[in-house]
Amino acid sequence: MKWIKLGKIFDPAEHELPLASVGFAQSPQALVLDDRVRIYFSTRERDRSGKYLSHVAFVDFDQRMQRILDVSRRKVIGLGGLGCFDEHGIFPINVLKDGDRVLAYTTGWNRKVSVSADAAIGLAISHDQGLTFERYGSGPIMAAALNEPFLVGDAFVARYGGVYHMWYIFGLRWIRQSEEAPLDRVYKIAHATSTDGINWRRDGRLIIPDTLNADECQALPTVIHLDGRYHMYFCYREAHGFRDQHGKGYRIGYAWSEDLQNWTRADEQAGIDVSAEGWDAQMQCYPHVFECENRVYLLYNGNEFGRHGFGLAVLER
Amino acid sequence: MFKWEKLGKLFDPGERQSGSWMHAFAQSPSVVLYETHVRVYFCTRPKPDADGMYLSYLAYLDLDRRNLLDIVKVCKRPLLNLGARGTFDEFGTNPISVIRDGDEMRVYYAGWTRCESVPINGAIGVAISRDGGESFVRLGDGPVLSYGPDEPFMLGSPRIRKFGATWYLWYVSGKEWLKTEGKPEPVYRIRMASSEDGLNWVKHGRDLLERRLGEHECQACPDVLFAGGRYHMFFSYRRSHHYKSREGGYRIGYAFSDDMLNWQRCDEMAGMEVSASGWDSQMVNYPHVFMLDGETYMLYQGNDMGRTGIGLARLVSPRDWGRH
Repeated sequence: MKWIKLGKIFDPAEHELPLASVGFAQSPQALVLDDRVRIYFSTRERDRSGKYLSHVAFVDFDQRMQRILDVSRRKVIGLGGLGCFDEHGIFPINVLKDGDRVLAYTTGWNRKVSVSADAAIGLAISHDQGLTFERYGSGPIMAAALNEPFLVGDAFVARYGGVYHMWYIFGLRWIRQSEEAPLDRVYKIAHATSTDGINWRRDGRLIIPDTLNADECQALPTVIHLDGRYHMYFCYREAHGFRDQHGKGYRIGYAWSEDLQNWTRADEQAGIDVSAEGWDAQMQCYPHVFECENRVYLLYNGNEFGRHGFGLAVLER
Repeated sequence: MFKWEKLGKLFDPGERQSGSWMHAFAQSPSVVLYETHVRVYFCTRPKPDADGMYLSYLAYLDLDRRNLLDIVKVCKRPLLNLGARGTFDEFGTNPISVIRDGDEMRVYYAGWTRCESVPINGAIGVAISRDGGESFVRLGDGPVLSYGPDEPFMLGSPRIRKFGATWYLWYVSGKEWLKTEGKPEPVYRIRMASSEDGLNWVKHGRDLLERRLGEHECQACPDVLFAGGRYHMFFSYRRSHHYKSREGGYRIGYAFSDDMLNWQRCDEMAGMEVSASGWDSQMVNYPHVFMLDGETYMLYQGNDMGRTGIGLARLVSPRDWGRH
């Protein structure tokens, strides 16, 4: 795989977004419509306590991904109610066309006391081509389970052969680098299947082997079927020092499979890496692969987890 | 109507100086029978922290089988550790329900975690004992029954039963958090799930009992037993506000069913009222009914949700549990 970088294509500071956004356009994910490509992302506002809330917004591109047609002007989906799993943010949102509907798999965030937050996966459904979504219940469709104790999120759903496949992550442990250091989380990629997109059966195993160490954090899987093989992109990083230490931040990882069960990790074949300088020189994260008009694209965030927007690359074929 | 004879307060940790981890509260009694004694598992608490927040631990006391008012033993330390950092049961395991299963025993419990916008959240965990109920080890770091689209938070109050080869779990699910002048207050109601192995659960997906106290009635502790050819449920219910007083406090309700799914609520038959004065004069709640040597007993908590201990009552009539 070899990707040609097309540069940063969206900067939230250059647009008027709803909901008092203070920057961030994180985890871009595409819904290919008849006349446009709608790219959802999460942006942030600060609440009265000064903490962030993540909100869903979108930007519409033409199908050649060259021109911005519009940005969302209304609320796409509100946050959850008091005490709900998605009360303090939705980040990211994964969208899937399903007949006349659009299904959205959300990662909802809620703030905790002993650790910063927890997350679970919700479902919301759109009947207007993804302009707005209604929740499927006020609770999550995938939450913590016996062997997946917290931080269940980052769902990516695709249909293959009549089966819905979900790749997602869950947290294993909260750890500190030193006694004074804040708690850091460790999470890994897993897989579940469903016949209706609502009720999921989990594999109960970690599907992507670590390359850094046992505390490697793996996030945001995205899968595409090309040339007879399934290709997974994701991002991974060290558990500690990932915000500001050189070489410890997110990089894009890659794995391939022929049966959707067994994955071979091959980061060296990812075909994309950080730039020597510029907006994606320190970090690359939250990849999303999609196909439009016979081109295969990779959306991703760069430095500072997408504070300043997202970029695009196209697959050389 | 059931007629109960109150035999008095059985146990109050505050009176016994049982140790710092058992400072006050004896909640959610759950009985396991042994040859010479009756073990009552319950939940107890150390002193609250500076913010008034509690931890809660699993404990037991043993009663002489021939004289249930005689406490022969109180466990010395918590039977189950609290959960690891960030897990659903980091701050408490309460309420609980214990069941014997062959050589093993299992405790199903509500795990307590603390949140920013609401005081707590709950999900149901399971732990197993292979030493006759002296200690329990959790089967996983996460919950065995967790949130779903129509059960968004505050899963708790588990009661585990096995009828035939099937496991049944009665529990409560949160409906909404009400904003109040103080902390938000949850509204929750009784539900049921069934399972082949006690680990993978199928939720029945609806509230089992009609409401008697309006939209915000809280129902908890669905204690089910099979007797006289049908299923009987004693439970507790209250208003969502001012429930720490005599007027608004928990009461014990009753319902019966022929199929475990469709329940007829008849609180007036429960027969268990608050006393005129004393430790159970403001509320009676968290009933647990068990049969022993030809008699039927109810364990229950009194005032302030069990802060002042557990009491015992004996069923006087009906003796046969027949249709009534």
